[in-house]
Amino acid sequence: MTRSTGSGQATVQQRFPNQKPEALFVPQMAKITRAEELTGTDRLFEIELPGKRELGHKAGQFVQVGIFGFGEAPISITSSPSRRGCFELCVRRMGGLTSKLHTMGAGDELGIRGPLGNGFPMEDFEGADCLIVAGGIGMAPLRSVVQTIVANRERFGRMMLLYGNRTPDDILFADDLKAWATDDRNQVLVTIDKPAEGWTGNVGVVTTLFERITLDTSRRIVAAVVGPPVMYRFVYAELSALHIPDEHIYFSLERRMKCGVGKCGNCQINGKCVCISGPVFTGEEVRQFHESI
Amino acid sequence: MRRTAVINEAGLRGLLGRVCETTRLLAPVKRGKASFDFEAVTDPSKVVFDYVRTVMPPKKAIWPTRDAILAFDLPKNKASAVLDETPFVLFGIHACDLKAVNQLDWAMGQRNEVTDAHYLARRKAATIIGMECLPDEYCFCTSVGSCETREGADLFLTPLGDGRGQAPGAARSQSPSYFVEVLSEKGEALTKQASGLRDATSKDEAAARAFIEKKKQSTTLKINGQMTELPDLLDAQYHGEAFQATALRCYSCGTCTNVCPTCFCFDMDDQVDLLLQAGQRGRTYDSCQFQDFAVVAGGHNFRRERADRVRHRWFRKFVYLLREHGEPFCIGCGRCSKSCTAGISLVDVLNSVLGEARKEAVR
Repeated sequence: MTRSTGSGQATVQQRFPNQKPEALFVPQMAKITRAEELTGTDRLFEIELPGKRELGHKAGQFVQVGIFGFGEAPISITSSPSRRGCFELCVRRMGGLTSKLHTMGAGDELGIRGPLGNGFPMEDFEGADCLIVAGGIGMAPLRSVVQTIVANRERFGRMMLLYGNRTPDDILFADDLKAWATDDRNQVLVTIDKPAEGWTGNVGVVTTLFERITLDTSRRIVAAVVGPPVMYRFVYAELSALHIPDEHIYFSLERRMKCGVGKCGNCQINGKCVCISGPVFTGEEVRQFHESI
Repeated sequence: MRRTAVINEAGLRGLLGRVCETTRLLAPVKRGKASFDFEAVTDPSKVVFDYVRTVMPPKKAIWPTRDAILAFDLPKNKASAVLDETPFVLFGIHACDLKAVNQLDWAMGQRNEVTDAHYLARRKAATIIGMECLPDEYCFCTSVGSCETREGADLFLTPLGDGRGQAPGAARSQSPSYFVEVLSEKGEALTKQASGLRDATSKDEAAARAFIEKKKQSTTLKINGQMTELPDLLDAQYHGEAFQATALRCYSCGTCTNVCPTCFCFDMDDQVDLLLQAGQRGRTYDSCQFQDFAVVAGGHNFRRERADRVRHRWFRKFVYLLREHGEPFCIGCGRCSKSCTAGISLVDVLNSVLGEARKEAVR
């Protein structure tokens, strides 16, 4: 148990040992090296830190992206750590800051704080069959998981990716999906919520894809889930029905993280700061916290 | 360190006068008819020694309602940290409020193993002079373990005699004296500037003790439970009726959290100057009671019901942070209950939750 030290004695910045305490909120100025429109609302940015310094993130971590005058927003990292010299962010246009970001392109600078949060424990996925469930923009953080699996393919078992979207136009990373599907150790299933012209694939919410996969129950199965808030309960029910143990189910939960460093209280789920203890939580934790899903 | 002395009122005002000649002095002053607030003072005769509570807690001296953390240059697209290290003296803070400062020191200095240099810079620049007090019907410091806090103060004063110091304009029939606890090097340095200081006798110490006992005995509002048992009892009432009933009265206005000396949730935003050349990234007090506090991009609200937000406030103070830190994030000052538009009493709600929990445990 920690106790206050009285007269405000500074303690060592244990969580960010390489950072001076006064630099806690000072962003690194990074350069956009490439920007690409993915959908009408989503834009992909390739970003380089000064001197091509590595961000040094884990799959599932996030950064605070800032533009002076517009503020900051937490954005998950969409590229895997295996990518060297740069990283990628997929940004959906939602508010003031993200709208401004959508006007920016190669050569523009933005502020980066991070990597922040815990990320997915990829070591638990190693040797297991990986069930990845993505809904909408949830594909962005999960792409870093899938890329990690694909880049180190022999370390992981089968990978089943279930990806739900509202319409065909919302599907992110279509080229990646196609490329991942060419490996027969991977199964990539995409669905859209309602029938659409020209769409011949599955129609229905993401849980309708569960009947199209066959799991080898003799194998260890690990699941990663990211999607809109409404999705989690339904996916969790499916995963539980498949008898995947809670400790091998990983949910990345979205909250509005303002400071990103466990101070501001905005992202609190009951007693836990999502920016510090999350955003990735196990099924066990999700069960424990009423406010989680 | 601890050394004791006695100073009379004239000596104390004289000391404050010398302090504010060289240093920013924040002290309680009268506002309106019956309110008090910490303000920058240049005239020591305006300082009130005898008050029950200020509207806003002394937190705002260390953490202003809007606090710059970065200064940025737009054409250069560069930012640097803003650290306010200007020394100041915070006078007249009560034991409960001092406890709150210690809680904030932990929250901003140590919680989650992250140090907030912006908070700590100002905290280290502070010299704190505490003052004993007598309660009103909203006070409950004896229930939350804050009533005898000395940690974090440089000097602490306890009125001797009848315990009533003199407010400005009051009849000056007698000049009370104050028992002085010198608790740090900074405190020691301050006493060097004081005149009319004498060593304390064991009789003075006993009189100061008697004053504190009087405070404790006259604190009648009580939480019906030990702090250690609160987290489990409240957990059992997560869906309890008391929070629903409170929600029916609450306006979600956020007054309770804004006047709270231990609440530390904040929002961050940028402000740009008119010429679009420079600006500041800063933080402002936020409130978990605001309707949109737990809204995420896309519009989902994780505490949509008012009862969810009401519960969060009590749980944060008496469950989550109590478990994490070992102490409640409530210091019994009564500000929230006194300021509440709907007349909601933190203690009454807590006691009814505890009552329900015990009733159900028996069933």
